[in-house]
Amino acid sequence: MPKTSLRALSAAAIIAAIDAAAARWSNADFPPRVRVTSAIQTRLGYSTPVVEYALDRLFFSLRREALEAAIAHELGSVAALDGPVERPGRPAGFARGVDRVVIVASDTTIGVALVPALYALAAKCDVLVKDRSDALVGAFFDSLVEERPQFATAAVTRAWTGGEDPRESAVLAAADVVAAFGSDAALRAIRAQLRPDARFIPYGHRASIGYVDTAQVRAARRAALLDGIAADALLYDGDGCLSLHALFVGGDAAAAAAFTADLAAAFERASVEFPPGEGEPQRAASAAAYRNLGAFRAAGGRGAVYAPAGESATIVFDPPRDEPPPFLPRVLPVFPVADPAEAIAYVRAHQLPIEALGVDDTHAPQALQFAVAVGAVRIARLGEMQAPPAGGHHGGAPRIADFVRWIDRE
Amino acid sequence: MEGAEAAALDARILAAIAAYALDAHGFDRLACDIFAHQLRANAPYAAFARSRGITPNRLPQTAAEIPAVPAAAFKQAVLSTVGPAAAAIWFQTSGTTAANAGRHYFATTELYEAALLAGFDRALLPDGARLRYLLLVPDARKAPHSSLGFMMDRVAAARGDGRDERFIDGDSFDAPAFVRALDAAVADGVAVCIAATAFALVAALEALDARGSRYVLPPGSRVMETGGFKGRARVVERAELYAAVGDRLGIPTSAIVAEYGMTELSSQYYDSFESRFGTRRYKTWPPWLRPLVVDPHGVPVAPGVVGAIRHIDCANRSSVVAIETEDLGALAPGGLLLLGRERGAELRGCSLDAEDLAARA
Repeated sequence: MPKTSLRALSAAAIIAAIDAAAARWSNADFPPRVRVTSAIQTRLGYSTPVVEYALDRLFFSLRREALEAAIAHELGSVAALDGPVERPGRPAGFARGVDRVVIVASDTTIGVALVPALYALAAKCDVLVKDRSDALVGAFFDSLVEERPQFATAAVTRAWTGGEDPRESAVLAAADVVAAFGSDAALRAIRAQLRPDARFIPYGHRASIGYVDTAQVRAARRAALLDGIAADALLYDGDGCLSLHALFVGGDAAAAAAFTADLAAAFERASVEFPPGEGEPQRAASAAAYRNLGAFRAAGGRGAVYAPAGESATIVFDPPRDEPPPFLPRVLPVFPVADPAEAIAYVRAHQLPIEALGVDDTHAPQALQFAVAVGAVRIARLGEMQAPPAGGHHGGAPRIADFVRWIDRE
Repeated sequence: MEGAEAAALDARILAAIAAYALDAHGFDRLACDIFAHQLRANAPYAAFARSRGITPNRLPQTAAEIPAVPAAAFKQAVLSTVGPAAAAIWFQTSGTTAANAGRHYFATTELYEAALLAGFDRALLPDGARLRYLLLVPDARKAPHSSLGFMMDRVAAARGDGRDERFIDGDSFDAPAFVRALDAAVADGVAVCIAATAFALVAALEALDARGSRYVLPPGSRVMETGGFKGRARVVERAELYAAVGDRLGIPTSAIVAEYGMTELSSQYYDSFESRFGTRRYKTWPPWLRPLVVDPHGVPVAPGVVGAIRHIDCANRSSVVAIETEDLGALAPGGLLLLGRERGAELRGCSLDAEDLAARA
């Protein structure tokens, strides 16, 4: 990898280039975006509205204000990326970006590698993104080059090949920082190839859950809450780590049952906005089996099953507690619980690694207690679980701080 | 003690097994009669059937119309025409723990034994050979609720040379004893049938590899392989496994027969004879068993189309005649093509999934 050419630019100029490119990509008719949308659909089978939504979410969030705010929050100022900045009571600090950053996305989440790549570029690092496909990241990098030619050598993609590849091993062995997305096995294999002093930022597979206390839901909020839960569950067919994988409904059991029945109607509505993608046959078969098992239990008087939108989605109310959530496309298990403690006990019993906790009121004290108890790194409002702010932490980790090494001038 | 209706059905099923014949109309009639019996005697199944619109006045007319119970339902209810106390035997279905495993109860072992022997005879013993059975499957004496252990125990007793041996005890494999048994078979000039789960077969081959041992087992020796690698860290391609069997044991690939069965069934599928010589193996089934391939809505699909496999097993007289699975397959002129998820297939997203979670446990 070349020594970074971005050091010739100010951080503000880099951020401005990212902002300008993101603005172009925010237009659904921007030709590269049209091509990428089609490529993503072909590769992953998501419907057009889902891909468009994902790209809108991504590029609307990658704007100068959000990037600068996140950087300033973590580093004190954007200028700290350019040279020493005086800091009251402390030595002046220079947040110098490391030379080589590698981002490995063995997962297929839309654009997951792009955000850390852009923060690393903002830190003036050379960035190599090893992605499942360079359709999105590579095309966006092309737009960056159009903004500033220095990106040509600093922002590089390589398609994921998987397996052993000596060239990949060499790249990983030379990296100062590696951010990786994937299964435990993939992360383990990547970590083993790094230098001892390299930073490793692992983003493993995780689950997200929601909690609703029906007694606390205001009547005026109920419909929006139901629609939000449906969107959280159905967007990306439930494939994301921020997708709603299990919902716990606290309070009166009858009220929980009624809430779940209303949720089925919300699923019907949400399926219009977020229609199902082309499912993988094995997972489709497993989803059907889970739905039918729910029907079997319901026939025996235990729980209920809903299959809205022509059985393209499934809600199982009161599924078995001795099984973890099914993690199947467009399938949501709903657990009636007496209180959050019962939900926490379920999460702990199944050792679920939790990314986000969705609740109606993120500021309620018990929401924070709940998040701490289950190890969640994000508390989000139901309906916004899949819309993490670009300025927030990612997986509990900072956005840019891991891509720099501080030089203190005393 | 079950009544005359059950006895009459058992007699019809046993007759079909003995004749190894049942035409399409006869199959539909038998399956529907068994279902009607189960509606009366198997309350959880009856409740499920009612939820699917089945009533005494609106009964299925063909086997394909019989509502299929998901295999996992055996973990949720006692799906039997006899109570657990009256069952002759039960087998434990798969589960991540014993606590959440299910049970398949049998009113009698007669149907099960007749079905398994008839199927095994056609698939593995068309020459009527009396072989020595080397069993790398759960030991029925130590694992009395293993359906595979029971099955091979019965086969060895009924068809073996009286010197069958067992090498699996829980999770441990007795490699030295296995090697001694191979040596003895070679010395005696007796053809063997090695019955093994795929995982145990790998362990056995690795043990031979570690010793540098290579055998050319007596002519007529064969392997019945079953199971797979579910829940196991070590995964080996089937072609690679079969090649290793040839290399280490001198058994040709065409003499390796894969069995496909489930604890929730009483009957088994085996590789068709013709496909044992090709690269793609097709499963065949006995006349009292029939696979249907269905789409996610439960609707049968056309031949060649991939879907989930549903089994109609008339030998399941005292439990559930129609079982739905998550196994993928397609019906083809050569038989049933079993399809698994391709390793390395691109899964979408960054969500945890069941395999991730199991790997963490």
